[in-house]
Amino acid sequence: MEQAAEYNFSKMLYLKNKATKLDVANYTVIIPSICVGNAAQLACDLLIASKKLKRIGNLSHSALIPVYGPSAYQHEPNEFVSSCELYESVEDKLLVIQFRTPLIARHTKTFQINLVELLQAARRVIILSGSFGFERRFIDDSPWAYRASDNFKAAHAAQLDGKTSLVKWKEHTGEHIFGGGNALQLFQAFKEKQVPVMLLFRYLLEGDNSTDASLIVRELNELCEDFLQLHDGGDGSFKLTVPKSWNLLFGNEVTELLF
Amino acid sequence: MSCPGFGEVRIPSSRAFWDDCEEDEFESIEPAPKSQLKFMDGTDETPFASDLLVLLEGPFVTEFSRGALLDDAKLICEIPAKSSTLHWNASKGQLIATLEEDLTSSGEITELLIPYAQLAKRVLTITIKPKVDYKSEEIDRYCEYVAIVHSIGGKGDDKTLSELEAPNFIAGVAAGIASWRNQMELPVSSYVIYTDKLPLDVIAAQPVLKLLQKMGVPCIERYLPPAKDSSYLYM
Repeated sequence: MEQAAEYNFSKMLYLKNKATKLDVANYTVIIPSICVGNAAQLACDLLIASKKLKRIGNLSHSALIPVYGPSAYQHEPNEFVSSCELYESVEDKLLVIQFRTPLIARHTKTFQINLVELLQAARRVIILSGSFGFERRFIDDSPWAYRASDNFKAAHAAQLDGKTSLVKWKEHTGEHIFGGGNALQLFQAFKEKQVPVMLLFRYLLEGDNSTDASLIVRELNELCEDFLQLHDGGDGSFKLTVPKSWNLLFGNEVTELLF
Repeated sequence: MSCPGFGEVRIPSSRAFWDDCEEDEFESIEPAPKSQLKFMDGTDETPFASDLLVLLEGPFVTEFSRGALLDDAKLICEIPAKSSTLHWNASKGQLIATLEEDLTSSGEITELLIPYAQLAKRVLTITIKPKVDYKSEEIDRYCEYVAIVHSIGGKGDDKTLSELEAPNFIAGVAAGIASWRNQMELPVSSYVIYTDKLPLDVIAAQPVLKLLQKMGVPCIERYLPPAKDSSYLYM
């Protein structure tokens, strides 16, 4: 099994600088799960476009449906989309992984093993996700919930610790996050390897989830402004860039021939 | 998790998994055995070099391929996705992969075909999609087109075709091989044809044949789909 994992790992990573290993020491890694409304992927789209992150490579695996097409972002017009893209900000020590396809369930476990191996040297990993809005049982509850490993909590005590916490999220304790895809399994896999990891998700419904995406980025910024650096002037507001791949998010205009 | 009974709320299934797995089922899914190419008896299983590797992918593409461009080609192996095949045209030095659209296994099949893509001098991918998948702010312009043909990336051999624009993209084995060749900085020509008739008929097949001819792939002049005993016409 170990051998098989290593074999796949070497095959799945492609870096533009031709390196065979991804150096994520001291990096914060953000991973979206493929969730309800694709909100986490949309949030990563906003992060990549707003911070003009640089594409450094791709991941490929049989768990990912291959895709190919024109660049999704204005700031990197010569790139091509692929099923799993890696973006980096060297100054902020930030790595964002972007998925563009759903997963094939029967290969997902091996993919997760490979992904955790690849990123286990990271300073911290943040998994973004969403859950069905009707899974929020109490209307007064926060629309946000999180899970964090003990080492992540210790490192972010000021933001997450009890009454004095900066963020007002509810700690999730359930066995499943319905609508959240493989987020919880990925969280557990990182936790088992002692990687400081947090899973942050929002309760939401299918529809136009672009607002949910910007709310996820805003909320994440509350927790980790040091690495996101999404601040503009002194009023705490920040400007997000919408990528060109969001054009026609709900399909074409209705053709005139219909009327 | 869903409740299909009449009058009951139907809870949407998860988006995460293409093959309809739910979050509470995921833990019990067993890893799949590795797919293999099914070689014909007496065929050498070692990947070999070719002048051109052609990947033609789309719904009902096997039938078109068999009737239009596989006359002089020998079957090398069956590809484990529906009725997909790999043929070898020795006189032209061309490998022709005919790929029925099957996104679930497309990642695996891409891995199986990469050794052939690695050894090929040139790679041509053509993806056939229904016209309804095409996104454009000027969609009315295309309403009477039989087919909309675009190159992907502008590195194709046919410079007369315009480049595909975001948010359009292709998915599947052709996309996987094109993506792999591109990241390896090896030449690749990728095209997508959005057609208004699938399976391809006499008229809808013309743009595909024209593109194949331009790319130097031998094929017939005019494609006639095989006659069928059944029809949707009820008398």
